[in-house]
Amino acid sequence: MHNPRPISPHLGIYRWRINMVQSSLHRLTGLLLSAGAVVFTWGLIAAASGPHGWQLFAEFSGSAIGLVVWFAWIWALLFHLCNGIQHLLHSLAWDYGQQAMRDRTKNPSYWTTGWVVVGVSTVLTVLVWVLLVIRLTGGAA
Amino acid sequence: MSEFPGQSSVREPLKIARNWGASHTGAHHWWLQRLTAVALIPLTLWFLFFAASLVQLDYAAVLAAIGQSLHAFALILLTVCLYWHGMLGLDVIIGDYVHTRWLEVTLQIALRFGAFLGALATTLAVLAIWFARLH
Amino acid sequence: MAQFRLPQMSRVQKGNYVAAKPGAKKVRKFKIYRWDPEIGGNPRTDTFEVDVSDCAMVLDVLLKIKNTIDPTLTLRRSCREGVCGSCSMNINGENTLACTKALDDLREGQVNIYPLPHMPVIRDLVPDFSHFYAQYASIQPWLKTDSPVGSRERLQSPKDRKKLDGLYECILCACCTASCPSYWWNPDRFLGPAVLLQAYRWISDSRDEATGQRLDELDDPFKLYRCHAILNGTNTCPKGLNPSKAIAQIKRLIAERTI
Repeated sequence: MHNPRPISPHLGIYRWRINMVQSSLHRLTGLLLSAGAVVFTWGLIAAASGPHGWQLFAEFSGSAIGLVVWFAWIWALLFHLCNGIQHLLHSLAWDYGQQAMRDRTKNPSYWTTGWVVVGVSTVLTVLVWVLLVIRLTGGAA
Repeated sequence: MSEFPGQSSVREPLKIARNWGASHTGAHHWWLQRLTAVALIPLTLWFLFFAASLVQLDYAAVLAAIGQSLHAFALILLTVCLYWHGMLGLDVIIGDYVHTRWLEVTLQIALRFGAFLGALATTLAVLAIWFARLH
Repeated sequence: MAQFRLPQMSRVQKGNYVAAKPGAKKVRKFKIYRWDPEIGGNPRTDTFEVDVSDCAMVLDVLLKIKNTIDPTLTLRRSCREGVCGSCSMNINGENTLACTKALDDLREGQVNIYPLPHMPVIRDLVPDFSHFYAQYASIQPWLKTDSPVGSRERLQSPKDRKKLDGLYECILCACCTASCPSYWWNPDRFLGPAVLLQAYRWISDSRDEATGQRLDELDDPFKLYRCHAILNGTNTCPKGLNPSKAIAQIKRLIAERTI
């Protein structure tokens, strides 16, 4: 072989469909939730360690950064949850119906369910935050 | 992966394709990932409500809430499933992307210790609050 | 780390522009990946303006370029009817067969044509399949039996034969395998969707007596479980097959036999 063979382009040229977006987000939210597990542990250790430790944690939770973390955590949780349910259904090998060969003129069903996952998780995130804000302002009043 | 497989001029492609054979460990990982996932569906949804109920409570009320036997039990279950599921997930991510062998092995070891320590510390914290409330 | 960016020598540079011949009736632009092993260096993309008034499929355009504009353009093709799997390539971002991809089914404007993604390129649109074929060979794609050969052929009920529908049609064009990000990052250890679909074709064959052994040999975190059900392979299969489902069924079988 005179000249080493190049590797053909991949990520840079491949067309993104909803399934690839879902997969990337599932991974990203999984990473966020793993980081969230550390915050979860911090919260419980803080509670166990005494009023001062809890005070620090509560201040962090109420701060601007803390609120961003909580918002990201809730979105990550709800997306990972909805998408995870689709993954579980896929694991049963049930999701494509009886058809052995996919009709290429029709969009596959999992594009629809993919958008449903994105939609439902977004709506739920907003809903949780609306409820939280109502509770917070109600508590302050 | 420094060189694309099958491009060696001296090694047969079949040798590279077969390589180490199968380790017979994949199914266990797959099964536990799904079991913990199913357990996490109710546990995380419960936790979302539980955490929201703690907002703006004072310290004593927070301790009382965590120390309730049912809540403490659910928190420990959540801790175990969360760390286990997260460990399995991160294991996959490392396997996918980290191809520097020493780093890959180091990360896999660190991940296991980290997950175990995190789960243990959280469980002990919940137990400490629960025992304190019993007295 | 997995290389998300192409290595320095694989990055694509801008190439030549060939304008349409005067009198062309229906002009369309085609940007095509080029690499010549005798010249070496970085690959480039040439853009051709082609009169597509007498072309129906993408393959027609490629052959027209080769026959009338640039005879050095290199590609594999044979049956021109989606049966041989030779002309698999990446057209407008998705892997498919050039011979069955109609120009009318592509979005308006310029058409981008690359070889199958993340493969070593032999020349232009021709990737090297030797590793892919070796992986196929590694799953032993033939009927394995220990029962002695009787006085008649090994029979199969129509119901059992039906289980092979959606599997036997695979033509090993590698569209799905080359669309799979998991395969891009671990081609050395992950078997990829096409080979796993083929493996399932033999696992689900009622006449095969090596089912357990086949499952044993797939139970590996890299060979099989690198599949994270991204579904790119199912999206892209030009034959309308469902490798993701075949893989899900293998995983399910491996789990089921432990309970």
